[in-house]
Amino acid sequence: MMKPSPFTVRGRHALLIMRDEREISIVRRQFNRLGMTVTETDPDQPIDPKLAADVIVLDADSISIKSDATSAKANVPVIALIGTETPSRLKWLLELRPASFLIKPLRSAGLYTALVVAFDCAQRRSEESARIEKLEDRIRSRRIVFAAVLRLMHSHALSEEDAFNLIRQTAMRHRTTIELLSAEIIALGGMPNRGSRTA
Amino acid sequence: MTKPSIPLGLVFSGSGPYAMMGREMEKSALMAIDEVNQSEEFDFTLTPHLRDPGGIVPAYHEACDDLIRNRKVEHIVGCYTSASRKQVIPIVERTERLLWHPARYEGFESSENVIYVGAAPNHTVVPLVRHMLEHVASDVFCVGSNYVWTWETNRVLREIVSSAGGRILAERLLGLGETVVDHIVKEIIGRKPPAILNTLVGESSYVFMRALHEASVRAGISIPTLSCSLCEPELKMIGSSASIGCIASSAYFESIDSLENRNFVARWKDRHGAGSHVSVDGQSTYVCVMLLARAIRRAGSADVVAVRRAAANYRYDSPQGPVWVDPDNNHCFLTPRLARSVPGCQFRIFWESEAPERPDPYLSNLDLAAIGAKLDKTADAVGRRPNYLRVVK
Repeated sequence: MMKPSPFTVRGRHALLIMRDEREISIVRRQFNRLGMTVTETDPDQPIDPKLAADVIVLDADSISIKSDATSAKANVPVIALIGTETPSRLKWLLELRPASFLIKPLRSAGLYTALVVAFDCAQRRSEESARIEKLEDRIRSRRIVFAAVLRLMHSHALSEEDAFNLIRQTAMRHRTTIELLSAEIIALGGMPNRGSRTA
Repeated sequence: MTKPSIPLGLVFSGSGPYAMMGREMEKSALMAIDEVNQSEEFDFTLTPHLRDPGGIVPAYHEACDDLIRNRKVEHIVGCYTSASRKQVIPIVERTERLLWHPARYEGFESSENVIYVGAAPNHTVVPLVRHMLEHVASDVFCVGSNYVWTWETNRVLREIVSSAGGRILAERLLGLGETVVDHIVKEIIGRKPPAILNTLVGESSYVFMRALHEASVRAGISIPTLSCSLCEPELKMIGSSASIGCIASSAYFESIDSLENRNFVARWKDRHGAGSHVSVDGQSTYVCVMLLARAIRRAGSADVVAVRRAAANYRYDSPQGPVWVDPDNNHCFLTPRLARSVPGCQFRIFWESEAPERPDPYLSNLDLAAIGAKLDKTADAVGRRPNYLRVVK
């Protein structure tokens, strides 16, 4: 699948959680120029859960720090509009993990950069979380690999290093992962006996 | 010969949710303008152009836009809330005008086009919390209005208190203007915290103070209550018995015992009635106009660049004592004070800083370790005595 470039913003949809009319019109005009569509929501209104947005533009000053503004859209990148730089406000903002931000007063300049940074940040975050999930899977199956290595050490009288190499090479030949082959070794009580390719 | 006239914008909300403060500030601005206009010390007069945004945030932008375009003002005195100031900043920055801001605020801002005459957080919340830790309690119950002033004041409080080993027992917030306070009062009476920090504003605060007083009397207890915004006209709004005994932090109290202040209060009462009271924000608005007029005189013009340069470090002996603008951040050197409210809608000052304190809007110089160290319980009584405190009679 082709990854969407963060520089291509045409066709993306933005949810504007903002109140100030002048600021809304600046964002709407600039996003429309870039070929994006927008939906506007007042900061006091709940977010429509059916609404699919690619990015959220959030006026941080308009929301009470005791509320959770974007929990309904956990994976959508947030561009925060900041007027108040007090630490109490910024701490609340950090909880939202903004993908990028702009300092008020808003101008049309800067909005494209904020979008590109937000889309790039969202892309990187999703790649990172996929990678972390894969690594966590590996960690979870380490016990199984270790058990398979032990079994081969006993049954084939191998050193630990040789037993692991045997599993690794067999997994490569069978075009499977070390973890899956280890699970098979434990299930069968030894190295599975089959041709050079797995089914 | 008539003196040349300089137009001056005044933007205060005389209607809306904080109308009382808006009216107090406007009255003080007009009093200062009259004094400047009648004085031989100034070779110009100020012509006020009044605007009332009615407490509606976007209306502040429109009012200033109108003043700048149609009244050709270079300078605007006004705003009370941070939300209104944030509306005005873009337009004064874009058009290179100056906003003279009288009210204390939570800090973390420094615009080239604002002169911040009100107190910075190091002038208000920091001395109040120090006093609380050293003389009242290290655990505190917070009640406040749900907006940026409370959030930031409580954040500073939390940092200082926890570095000194104390605790925030609760943080209860009410919507702006909310007057249903019984559940909070009930909780306070039930838990009997050793101290309360009140950052409620306006009617919410008055209703809370009355309800707390009534419930405390019934329960036979008395809990010290601290505030960094309570002022004399508000004591009157709260009512005589409920308003007594509060500890307040401010750069100005009506009871400051100096020649400048005694004369100022006398002139104020002549103008507004013997039963009226000066507030910190009213006095600060007066100081705004005076700082501006003196800077115009020194600069020889109302030009913003020249006035800003002339105002920098130019000391003015105001009712609240010496005040001058720190050109590093456009905030003012002010003298922090602590006082206790007494009968007659007055405050008795029990501490003031030895000299005007440099404004620190970002609290960059707040030394938490030093405050915590002072509270070391092993230190003897003399050692614990804070050396920055000076008792005033």
